[in-house]
Amino acid sequence: MERLDFDVYEVFAQSDPLKPHVHVFNVLASTPDMALALAEENFFRREGFVNLWVVRRDAIHQLGYQDREGFRKSEKTYRTTEDYKYLRDKWRHYREHPMSAEDRTGGTRDGSVVD
Amino acid sequence: MVEEQFTDQEAYFLERVDRGDRIEAEDWMPEDYRQQLVRLIAMHAVSEIMGALPEKEWVPRAPTLYRRLAITAKVQDEVGHGQLLIRVAEDLMRPWDKNREDIMEDLFTGRLKYHNVFHMATPTWADAGIIGWLVDGAAVITQGMSLSCSYAPYARALQRIVEEEGFHIQHGESICMALAEGTPMQRAMLQDALNRWWPALLMFFGPPEKSQLSTHQLRNIRYRIRSKTNEELRQRFFTKYVHRIWSLGLTIPDPTLRQDPVTKEWIYQQPDWNEFREIVNNHGPRSEARLGLRSTTYQEGEWVRRLISTAHRAG
Amino acid sequence: MVPWSIEELKRESGARAAAGELLFQLADDDFIMGYRDQEWLGLAPHIEEDVAFGSIGQEEIGHAALYYRLLEELGFGRADDLASLRPAEERRNAVLLEQPNGTGDYLDNPHFDWAWTIVRHYCHDLWEIARLEGLRGSRVTPMREAAEKILGEKRYHRAHQELWMRTMASRNGESRERLASAVAHVGEWAGDLTEWGPARKDLIEWGILPDPDGVKAQFRHQLEAFLTVLDVSVPTIRMPFNGREGQHTKALTKALEHLSEVYRLDPLAQW
Repeated sequence: MERLDFDVYEVFAQSDPLKPHVHVFNVLASTPDMALALAEENFFRREGFVNLWVVRRDAIHQLGYQDREGFRKSEKTYRTTEDYKYLRDKWRHYREHPMSAEDRTGGTRDGSVVD
Repeated sequence: MVEEQFTDQEAYFLERVDRGDRIEAEDWMPEDYRQQLVRLIAMHAVSEIMGALPEKEWVPRAPTLYRRLAITAKVQDEVGHGQLLIRVAEDLMRPWDKNREDIMEDLFTGRLKYHNVFHMATPTWADAGIIGWLVDGAAVITQGMSLSCSYAPYARALQRIVEEEGFHIQHGESICMALAEGTPMQRAMLQDALNRWWPALLMFFGPPEKSQLSTHQLRNIRYRIRSKTNEELRQRFFTKYVHRIWSLGLTIPDPTLRQDPVTKEWIYQQPDWNEFREIVNNHGPRSEARLGLRSTTYQEGEWVRRLISTAHRAG
Repeated sequence: MVPWSIEELKRESGARAAAGELLFQLADDDFIMGYRDQEWLGLAPHIEEDVAFGSIGQEEIGHAALYYRLLEELGFGRADDLASLRPAEERRNAVLLEQPNGTGDYLDNPHFDWAWTIVRHYCHDLWEIARLEGLRGSRVTPMREAAEKILGEKRYHRAHQELWMRTMASRNGESRERLASAVAHVGEWAGDLTEWGPARKDLIEWGILPDPDGVKAQFRHQLEAFLTVLDVSVPTIRMPFNGREGQHTKALTKALEHLSEVYRLDPLAQW
């Protein structure tokens, strides 16, 4: 008797409508319908979900380890809020000392507040 | 040239392991690492699959509606753990062109062993309680160690498993406590079960190393597959459970058992390690019967697996 | 009709008796079905399916527990006693559901039949869904609420069995033959599944289940429609025993002895 082989379906679940689907685990099944039915009881006996996806594994493409290693972004603080923390102090300053039409030099270019 | 490249790859792999990086299924890994993992995880998987059966004997006989619900959920979880682990093992075996059918075949022919505790008889309801409380308690100690395993899919599966074991242990504690607080008949049933299970519980962690680690153990420690010795784990078990067992007024069937007040090490009567080897080689009290149950139903269910296998995809 | 609470139902002894009759049918059906399902635990043909089917058996027991608790509230005795201590002749389950999963039992030489298990379960699911939908028109509020609560899980069970039946039917050869013979085999036993026992008239009169004939018609219609889709012949349905009248086979006696083994040691003890 020849050995049987099976399709692997990867299971992704969404726990909340505002959260993305997250990979959970996988099952052996013959069709997407069966994979969905099996996934429910195999992985959600306690916690619930709002939605489930199953994807046949051969439809998933992934990075190899070397590529994962290569994907290390250099620090880019200019695209985060990190570089703009000084704004809060400035706003406070202007709330207390609004700029007049004549006087537009409430602060210096380097961000420090002048009293 | 090729060999040098291979060495580089291996060195790089070990460097990843050393810095605590987790290895994924598709990453390159030394064949030896793969073999050690398959050996460990396939054994763990069939232990869950066979491990469902001793307690399952009491599922249809659970005394109350509540216990009936709880124990069926518990045993179902064990089968679920078998599913998680056999999937992890299958993915590792893919390069060898093998899958779960081979794992089950190896189980039935005796090439693949399962944990000693699941070869034992469970003649009373109290046995189901002791399994939940102390066998699962012992299992959590070894599995807790493996959460730090360098192989990520195994560690991920274990996270799910250990989370559920928390419920299993309390389910077992609850059964045992009800018996301990119950009628003389119930107390006697519990004490009997403890007497029966004590040596098997000690065997569960494997023979003590006596400062001599096996090649397998050394490799597994090198690969960060495991981090503790059998004896260290057994000592943790004593520390966690001996006082609790005593506190229920139960007698542990080992008059020599005591903790050294200075070293804190537990001194205990060694179980019969020859018997241990007999048991895991499928000569335990219920080995043959349970393997018979599982292999008969597995073979008779072949038509169902054929139905959902890729054999039908073309036609 | 004015809605009734449990207390109000208890005041009309005829209505209480009829409601009890129906609740025993529901409870005993689910309890013995759950028992048969649980025999498969750890032994199913596919590991993932073992887990999935494990939930179904568990939920059957959960539903039975809910019905037994309603019976307890109605003063028929303690739920655990009702589940474990009543002899076969007091049971009201359909004999179809007490039949074993195959030959042997789960402890000894089991030769279980998956196709029979699924088809038999499907008929049970279909009948229970029809009954529970019928109960939505009941004047007894807690029975209506129980029906609402249980229907969701029963529908999941039905979808699960349908999935397997469709899968079996989708291949010519062995699995189709097994499916067809399981359907015929179920027909041999299924007669009392859709019976109401002695309480049918009272159920209508007291408004506990207003339209039992409509429930039966719905079951029949859905069964035939699905079998037609699968291209499997609708079986001849026989009734060798009527479980709704307390007639049962040895299979039930044996199961009851086994399942109550621990509880009978001391029914008054805390377990």
